[in-house]
Amino acid sequence: MKKIITHPPEAPVGKRYWRSLDEYSHTDEFKEWLSREFPQGAAEFTGDDVSRRNFIKLMGASVALAGIGLSGCRRPRTEIIPFTKTPEFQIPGKPLSYATSIPRRNGALPLLVTTYDGRPTKAEGNYTFPGLNGSTDQIAQASVLSVYDPDRSKGFVLDGKVITEDAFNIFLEDFKKRFSQGNGLAILLDESNSPTRARLIAQLASLWPKAIIYSYDPVTFGRNKEKADAIAYGANQSSVPLYDNAKIIVSLDFDFLGFVDGTPTSVSRYSKSRRITSPEDSMSRLYAVEHRYTLAGGMADHRLRLPSSQIPAFTALLATELTKQGLNVGANCDQFAQFAQPDDFKQKWIQELAADLINHKGQSLVVAGPNQPVETHLMVAAINSALGALGKTLVTRKNETPSYSSIVDLANAIKSNSIQSLLILGGNPVYNAPADLGWSNLQRQVAETIHLSFDFNETSKLSKLHIPAATYLESWGDALAEDGTYLNIQPLILPLFDGLSQIQLVERLLGLPGLVAPDAVKETFKQIAKPSDFETAWNRFIHSGFLENSTAKTSGSSAQLNAINQSLAKPGVSFVALGSQDLELVIEADYSVEDGSWANNGWLQELPDPITKITWGNAALVSANTAKALGLKSYTEKGIDYGEFLRISVGGNDVQIPIQIAPGHADNSISLFLGYGRKLAGRVGGVESHQVGFDVYPLRTTNAASIILQPAIQKMGGVFGHAITQQHWAMEGRALFRENTIEGFKEDPLSAKKMGVDAHVPPNISIYQSPPLTAKQQWAMTIDLNSCVGCNACMIACQAENNIPIVGAEQVKNGREMHWIRIDRYFAGPQGSEEQNDIENPEMVMQPVACLHCENAPCEVVCPVNATVHSEDGLNVMAYNRCIGTRYCANNCPYKVRRFNFFDYNKRPIQDHQLYLGPMATKSEQDTELYKFQQNPNVTVRMRGVMEKCTYCVQRIEEAKIDQLIKAKDSSPAIIPDGSLKSACQQVCPAEAITFGDMNDESSNVSRNLKDPRSYALLSYLNTRPRTSHMMRLRNPNPKMPDAAKVGLISIEKNDSDHDDHTLNPELPAGEQKHEAASPAHGQSKSH
Amino acid sequence: MANLFPRWTNILPLQILVVLGLIGAAVTVGVWYYFTPKYTRVGYQPVQPVPFSHALHVNQLRMDCRYCHTYVEKAAHSNVPTTQTCMNCHTQIKKDSPKLEAVRESWRTGEPIPWVWIHKTPDYVYFNHAAHVNRGVSCVHCHGNVNKMEVVYHAKPLSMSFCLDCHRAPQEFIRPVAEVTNLDWKAPSREDQLVMGKKLVHDWQVSPPVNCQGCHR
Repeated sequence: MKKIITHPPEAPVGKRYWRSLDEYSHTDEFKEWLSREFPQGAAEFTGDDVSRRNFIKLMGASVALAGIGLSGCRRPRTEIIPFTKTPEFQIPGKPLSYATSIPRRNGALPLLVTTYDGRPTKAEGNYTFPGLNGSTDQIAQASVLSVYDPDRSKGFVLDGKVITEDAFNIFLEDFKKRFSQGNGLAILLDESNSPTRARLIAQLASLWPKAIIYSYDPVTFGRNKEKADAIAYGANQSSVPLYDNAKIIVSLDFDFLGFVDGTPTSVSRYSKSRRITSPEDSMSRLYAVEHRYTLAGGMADHRLRLPSSQIPAFTALLATELTKQGLNVGANCDQFAQFAQPDDFKQKWIQELAADLINHKGQSLVVAGPNQPVETHLMVAAINSALGALGKTLVTRKNETPSYSSIVDLANAIKSNSIQSLLILGGNPVYNAPADLGWSNLQRQVAETIHLSFDFNETSKLSKLHIPAATYLESWGDALAEDGTYLNIQPLILPLFDGLSQIQLVERLLGLPGLVAPDAVKETFKQIAKPSDFETAWNRFIHSGFLENSTAKTSGSSAQLNAINQSLAKPGVSFVALGSQDLELVIEADYSVEDGSWANNGWLQELPDPITKITWGNAALVSANTAKALGLKSYTEKGIDYGEFLRISVGGNDVQIPIQIAPGHADNSISLFLGYGRKLAGRVGGVESHQVGFDVYPLRTTNAASIILQPAIQKMGGVFGHAITQQHWAMEGRALFRENTIEGFKEDPLSAKKMGVDAHVPPNISIYQSPPLTAKQQWAMTIDLNSCVGCNACMIACQAENNIPIVGAEQVKNGREMHWIRIDRYFAGPQGSEEQNDIENPEMVMQPVACLHCENAPCEVVCPVNATVHSEDGLNVMAYNRCIGTRYCANNCPYKVRRFNFFDYNKRPIQDHQLYLGPMATKSEQDTELYKFQQNPNVTVRMRGVMEKCTYCVQRIEEAKIDQLIKAKDSSPAIIPDGSLKSACQQVCPAEAITFGDMNDESSNVSRNLKDPRSYALLSYLNTRPRTSHMMRLRNPNPKMPDAAKVGLISIEKNDSDHDDHTLNPELPAGEQKHEAASPAHGQSKSH
Repeated sequence: MANLFPRWTNILPLQILVVLGLIGAAVTVGVWYYFTPKYTRVGYQPVQPVPFSHALHVNQLRMDCRYCHTYVEKAAHSNVPTTQTCMNCHTQIKKDSPKLEAVRESWRTGEPIPWVWIHKTPDYVYFNHAAHVNRGVSCVHCHGNVNKMEVVYHAKPLSMSFCLDCHRAPQEFIRPVAEVTNLDWKAPSREDQLVMGKKLVHDWQVSPPVNCQGCHR
């Protein structure tokens, strides 16, 4: 039986933090969660196929079989296979890093990819690239796994039959002959900013003058920012916000901190504007107006929830208000303003916002989301121009990417029977084209479709010829970074299944060899870089990964008010006042699988949505009010959130999707996410008979791709249980998350150490003798909650580095996901009040938690076999081979950071209850064999029955130590210099929220952070003395705003001031803490 | 009532106990001896695809270990030479020897030579050669006198206690870096070894890890 720690009751002051509606309403169900490690019954076998009794029978049989022949007694013969010829650079067992980049919608990310013996295992950001500090996003981290996707396409398929490459070449030659002029030929491209592809496509267009080239991307389709920028700033100009220069940022339905709309650059710039090193520093202020909680909304100081379709009216009102307060915006937007019917609260909100913007002229910035109509962007351009943002917080750049005709034109061309042959390079229009085009029927009308894609997907199935594509890690290419810098893409491994890159295929169509060779890229490089010495410049480019000084120049264009007003006079959007009968739908790409192209990546499927924490699927997000108005039920049972099905119809297409109540969501608005419900993605992402999540593409039309007004809504009955992790690993205790206002922090810099019971508990006296910490370097970590936006990149980076398996939706529901670092998302509202308003409009905060490496680790004392012990440099280490799986340690961990391998996740398929069958599960080599290539050879792959947890990336620490030993030889080794050793989560973080290093080194970053008054230890009153400290979040509310009082709320317990004298010591950095109990000044405090 | 059990059964429990005790002792001793690396590993001497003699190459020709095991000072893994390394000399010397047919075959076809792995640590042990040979731990400590072996065999148990013997008392084994690949080198006496060992441990700040993370990650 677990020892129940009775945490002191929480004082009814300040703020209350909650993870789920269950916790909010103090249900018994949730209390169970708190005191248990896993939900009730999760540790039992409840699978239908295998009962405990059957399992024992099976095990008995297999033991008996193993006994016959005693095959285990002989030493197996293993071989060492050296190379025949010594390869250059390669040292067996040593990793090599190559500079390359991953193409992303908002600009490619420069990478350094680690390869072991020729196989890429981990993507890191290219730290030599200026501005990003080596950070990446979750997709870049997970992309390595997709290379080894066992379901990826493995050959050419003609008319449903696999053909050889020779047969394909014959087909291609014939194809080229048939279309010598390009008559009746259409090419559909996916979106890419590769200059080489653009150049080759242009060549192809001149070779086939009659062929027409189209492009389609489901995420950028229907985005309006580019169109608006072209009107406001001139053709091909695009505006780029510089968040780090801004003091006031207003985000209108724009998640610039999430990696669908935003980029690591925007996170990095934003976090720079918020960085605080002392109470004297100032920080930026963020206002967010949005329909659902986004990452940007979570970071905002003031947030207003408003349906997406009301944002244009809000913007107009803001422009009008600015003009009223004396700043002439000059945009004629009164026609929009009349649609907003602001109540007093919103009126006051807008007034004070306008005043704040005017007060910070030249330092303020307004940004709008890409799905907002052109009108919003035009008004924003006018506002920014009036605020003097241009050239300061906002710059314009020339957009170099060529544009092609739209898929809508292609559909019309097919309808008029002018297309005989369609060449689709990338993309999956059968799955993701706008529903009103009826794409699958259109594609059947075309006599011959040729489809190049990474996997044999929905579109390939309807194509005559399918060509397997090579990933970016297998082919040569190039791309432009977000800032326009020219980046290289170089192959780290030959295409695993003979795939072709788009560049190679186009080269072959042009009559070039099209091999895995950089010829085409070299040519483009020559044109862009114009080097005097080509070989040197090229080698330098390949080595560093980017072309220096190729950043796009800012063009300094100004907003053209005339053009803006002309466009505003003819608005393309219509408005309705939303009510419970007239809802809006907002459709966005998913944070994990984006448009669905990453659906078969298990890491991304199991990555919880940063806001809802739903894994393996999607839901229709609604506010509690709207759910009530629609009569939709939603409840929690055994930690699983159930939502009732909703039928949504748009233009004759139906989608049935379960709801999930999302605190902070705007009323009368429904948020939907793309990328799920794939019918031919693979074993992870779903097949026809077993779909993952719900496909909402049928609701998108060419005219309304992201914001859809007045859909037909019907309650369906029937519920669906989401695999949701919001309650998993819920911690018990007080003041887990600490925050203050910047003013409050200035008044009382030590406030972080006085929150919760830390305000009045007596200093801890330990009767337990900590293990000696004798090493020269003592490792510690700090996590700055003021910087962390909760983007999830660290979770995938950790998974890639540490061979962490995925467990599947079924096991996630049992609370068995394995992520070593988790991000706890809390909603927060005033303590004590239980009004409806709290659920509808809470604040949202993010807190990453991994093993805290306590000096007095509660897990160590309960391990019966010493499998978890302390090292002399302060790590709480796990010896997997000693672990017998009692799970006592996890039970005794107050932070719930230990993860148990209930099954052999690395050996067995996770689908269809196969895990429960143990050794009797279907042996499908494909499932696991190919994935093995991704695994980090320096980290043990854990088996069933073993506990695991964050190791502070011990393999990196040991590697760094050994490097110093090798350098030292017969002298004393130097210490590992600060900054040369980074944990995987630290390395990937665009906000630089995670700092890891030696706390014995006075000058190290981590020591500096530990001395920062904002640092505090989680549950420090338990005297665990964690090595990982969190740093208090700060908010910067505008005191004049109507909701300022709520934002300013902090959870300092205003107890008797006479306790203040003994509040500080328990919080000293663990290394400095010297048996405070012995100090007489603190020994006498009365206990509570 | 007659006795249910005959008289001799009185002593039966004692006999059973004694026999069980003996069996228990035998099993314990048996496992102790036969199931530990000292028995299971030491002496393993598989037939290699090429009858390569370390004794000939090292002891007679005085070749250094690092001529073939090139990366032992740089990487965790001490590499087995590529066919190319063999052919560096054997294109000139003994180029028609039938013993070298497998090497020539490999060179012709590009198929690597499948050497049989002898000194194999378990998968969960992350042994690092570079960390040892750069810091005065000789090859001989773990591999025995390979320089005298016609056919290589497993000379030391390489068990965890074997590792810890040295990690806990490095002064007993450490030697000048220059003598690491000199497998015949020995301190003149145990006292000399201890005096020198203590000095080297102090001067180089040798502190071998004795916690789990040193080898298990």
